[in-house]
Amino acid sequence: MADYYTLVTGLPWLPEQMEKCTQLPLSRIALERRLTLLNETDQKVLRSAEALYHPSLSNMQPDQARVQAWQQQVDQLPSETLRQVVGLRLEIQTLLAALRYRRRPDTQAEHFQGFGRWTQWIRQHWKEPLFGLEGRLEFLEHWGELFAQGQTGDLQTQVDLYLWRQLLAVERSHHFTLETVVCFVLRWGLAERRLRSDPDAALNEFQALGDALLQHSGIQQRLTQLFEDSYR
Amino acid sequence: MDNLIMALGWAGLYGPMALGAIGSMIGCSLAGQAAAGALLETETGHGRYIGISAMPSSQSIYGIVVMFALNRDVTPENAAGLAGIGLLCGLALMFSAIYQGRSCASAINVSKIRPEIFGMSLAPAAIVEGFAVFAFIFALVISAGVPA
Repeated sequence: MADYYTLVTGLPWLPEQMEKCTQLPLSRIALERRLTLLNETDQKVLRSAEALYHPSLSNMQPDQARVQAWQQQVDQLPSETLRQVVGLRLEIQTLLAALRYRRRPDTQAEHFQGFGRWTQWIRQHWKEPLFGLEGRLEFLEHWGELFAQGQTGDLQTQVDLYLWRQLLAVERSHHFTLETVVCFVLRWGLAERRLRSDPDAALNEFQALGDALLQHSGIQQRLTQLFEDSYR
Repeated sequence: MDNLIMALGWAGLYGPMALGAIGSMIGCSLAGQAAAGALLETETGHGRYIGISAMPSSQSIYGIVVMFALNRDVTPENAAGLAGIGLLCGLALMFSAIYQGRSCASAINVSKIRPEIFGMSLAPAAIVEGFAVFAFIFALVISAGVPA
């Protein structure tokens, strides 16, 4: 795989803590323009990783077909690190899906479909509150409490914080490689989704965007001129 | 056999220069690519990024000096000595230039985010330079013992 010295140093800084990211450092259009520095094969890898990590809500495939498609796509990723990064995201999605699925009436463990290491374990420990995984996953107890209390917004934030930290760790352990770029873009996606769903952050971003537009487009001068003209 | 030894002698003579230059090309290219990316993201301090990217060029200069120090008529008596010193010194210079380029690229990447650590971030590149200087100095010292 190629090294991307220009691209990696050309990417802006995203804070270490997701909570501190109150504004996207660059727009999707600007990001796409920089990502043209990736070669064609790596662009496809990035798109594939992004589609798996930030899945579209319009995917209405049955669970089994979806899981098989995920497995195929993950297997096609060329790097072990990327397979682990994307795999972890899908495993967490499986875990949350299992919690939701179990709440529905008349569900059976053997009908549950999921991705990764924990699926079989979940089926075997279906009746246990946290599928017996709380010993292995230290964060699960807190997530389980949030889920039980119906605080899905907070739960999503906790999941995103966890994923953010994982991505940052991988980004730091790889220098100037495709993995660095992919992890940055995936973190950008998490930040973008968070800002879209956070009304205060969205308001701040709108304000900043409005100020930038007014400063750069000459609208401000035009408004001032119109205002002055109306007084003459 | 003599021909092979003579060829190695000539390779040893030109090796420090050629291998040092190859290392500098790669090192400067890596650091230069990083500097080009940093120009996109920063408003000021462009000059220092470009300056850092030239750091691995010093290995070429060391290579030239070692080549002149080794420069003499190549004979079957001194060819092996020239090959040993020249090629090993050349390899040391080449690898130090490449890895210095990578250190410089990392320094550019972090100082783009936090300009106040610019000086400190250059320490690894300076340490790598130190090893290149060792290889250079001791090649000069040893070259005095090679028969003319």
